Amino acid sequence: MEIALIGNPNTGKTSLFNNLTGSYEYVGNWSGVTVEKKVGVFKKNIGRLIDLPGVYSLNPLSRDEGVVTTFFLEEPVDRLLNILDASQLERNLHLTLQLLEYEKPALIGLNMVDVAANRGIQIDTEKLSQILGVSVVPVVARSGKGCDRLIEVISTSSSHSKVKKHVYYGKAVEEAITRLSIELIGKTDHSPRWLALQLFEGNEYVKRFLSDIVEPARLESYISHLESLLIQENIHVKSLTNYIYLKRKEVIEKILETSVRKVNTVVPLSEKIDAIVTNRYLGMPIFLICMYLMFMLTFDWLGTPLSDVLDGILTGTVTTGVEKFLGAVHASDFIHALIIEGLIAGVGGVLVFVPQIFILFFFISLLEDSGYMARVALVMDRIMESVGLNGKAFIPMMIGFGCNVPGIMAARTIETPRERLMTILLTPLMSCSARLPVYALFVGAFFVGHKALVVLSLYVLGIVVALVLAKIFTKTLLKSETSLFVIELPPYRLPQFQSLWRSTWDKGKGFIRKAGTFIFTGSVFIWLLSYAGPNGLKVAMDDSFLAAIGNLFAPVLEPIGFGTWQAAASLITGFLAKEAIISTMNIIYFVPNDAGLQGLLSNYYTPLAAYSFMVFILLYIPCLATTATIYKETGSKKWTAFSMMYALFIAYVLCLVIFQGGKLFGLV
Amino acid sequence: MFGSFKVGDKGKIIDISKVGRMVQRRLLDLGITEGSEVCVKCIMPFGGPVMFESCGQCVGLRRKEACLIEVERV
Repeated sequence: MEIALIGNPNTGKTSLFNNLTGSYEYVGNWSGVTVEKKVGVFKKNIGRLIDLPGVYSLNPLSRDEGVVTTFFLEEPVDRLLNILDASQLERNLHLTLQLLEYEKPALIGLNMVDVAANRGIQIDTEKLSQILGVSVVPVVARSGKGCDRLIEVISTSSSHSKVKKHVYYGKAVEEAITRLSIELIGKTDHSPRWLALQLFEGNEYVKRFLSDIVEPARLESYISHLESLLIQENIHVKSLTNYIYLKRKEVIEKILETSVRKVNTVVPLSEKIDAIVTNRYLGMPIFLICMYLMFMLTFDWLGTPLSDVLDGILTGTVTTGVEKFLGAVHASDFIHALIIEGLIAGVGGVLVFVPQIFILFFFISLLEDSGYMARVALVMDRIMESVGLNGKAFIPMMIGFGCNVPGIMAARTIETPRERLMTILLTPLMSCSARLPVYALFVGAFFVGHKALVVLSLYVLGIVVALVLAKIFTKTLLKSETSLFVIELPPYRLPQFQSLWRSTWDKGKGFIRKAGTFIFTGSVFIWLLSYAGPNGLKVAMDDSFLAAIGNLFAPVLEPIGFGTWQAAASLITGFLAKEAIISTMNIIYFVPNDAGLQGLLSNYYTPLAAYSFMVFILLYIPCLATTATIYKETGSKKWTAFSMMYALFIAYVLCLVIFQGGKLFGLV
Repeated sequence: MFGSFKVGDKGKIIDISKVGRMVQRRLLDLGITEGSEVCVKCIMPFGGPVMFESCGQCVGLRRKEACLIEVERV
């Protein structure tokens, strides 16, 4: 049995999905967390549950909403589980009425009954269920309250609505529905009434679907005829779409009259917090302070000490342990070198940064879960507008700080195609967590006194470059088209520690998994390249294949401060995954004693060259996974190639300016 | 007009048709249309967006679009 989970954005569908299936999908407190459908299996194995992006209506405006309409038109579904936000019942019911018109067995989960109760809204679920003709189960998706009952109802009684026509759209519309329905009989499995109404509402997806059955010109005449008829009859009607909306609204108002009771309301805490964080003057400084605190904790106060402890364990206890073991089993020199100089150096070098990455992810999760994310979009909109983007584009960029891949996916919620494309192209400039180990290593070696500040400067640089490029793209490549900014600001929620931890772990485990798979194989490969050379095995590092490859590119990198084959080689591997830069460096600069990589780096880089190197890493190319996502999301080889080329160009030019300019000013 | 509203001012929307089609649709999705009551919560500096409350939810909208909405003070 296939059950589709559907509801307005930010009503807790994914929370409920996780509760019902025991899986863990990405949850956040803003509209548009889920941008594609996700499938899970019910805990009691009664069927498969499909989590869909949130929509206000089945008539889509943006790409993620289109996912839902396409799903309804093309995929088999047995039951609908409609989630309603009890505190926003009126606007949620517009979708419910459209779902009931779809005429599949449905069931309603009334979520956030606790929030509604706090606001003085009392809902008579019995009455609501009676009017709609389907079961209504109150739940609290965040805590899981009511979920057992929901599963019980789904597996037993979920049936077709007992009420046939929820909305009577007036004589003219009803007649048109009947006439179109007759043409559709036997040609589609979908409810003809639903198809007709969606067509009249202006749903492009449904129109395309119907064009295969009925001649497009006939469809057009249906719509235009009906619209002119309605406008003649009713003076206040502006369009067919508007008329249908108003009819539904009338019905909803009646439903609410009988099933909802409002008692005295209290001012929610959200408004008090909003008075501060979205304050005219304080908004932006508060955002920057939040970022600064995040980096201080990640790099100075908490992250680095923890990393040092982990480093001590890996280079000390673990290495000696493995060496003893290898000695005991009489491993050959080759195996010994492979494991100690290749694997432990390569994989261990990345794992050392796990504490810092987790702290960063914790903050990103906090940002997502609390409801601050949408506020940041609001605060940033003025700046984004001036470069031809909108505030919503800042959300994918913030997510990009964790990993660029979900960041690019999140751009689906942006309504206008031009702004969406631009956001996809610019999100890779956001410094993702995989670039963080490189910074951690270099600031530790060269900028001990100002670790957090130097790293913050890189993150800000990424944002500034993105904004400048946005301005340039708007003026040249991607002109015209209006921009759109309407954003819903969800009420603040006190983040629960458990869900925060789960969210952090979920993001962080990807990093660890990558270290165990991708970086593991990569390390073996890179080590082999450094171990073998044109003159055989076990050559000096400078005579290896790796050095030969690196030397090809080294001269190009000379003007920007790091013309060594080592830097060139690690940059090449960095395309596969940014962490691989660290693995490669650990293998190349392998130091058997505990002098450490950081100490050794000062022989190869000046502080200025080190900064230039970090800037280069920040900008030079989207990693392989990101490139694949850009291709998937844009569907264009041209734009994918462009995203790589422009990044390389900008990185080179900027590093040239930083390094040569810095030298002019006497910096080294 | 919405443009002249200050933080804390309340009003009722009387005409929303001058606003762009997409913005109108989005606002309608949120249940905001002619007849809805609005209350300005916050106005961002340098011509930035306005945040207002309507139907128990907070919505952010660009100032230039907000100015196209005809609102009657209550």
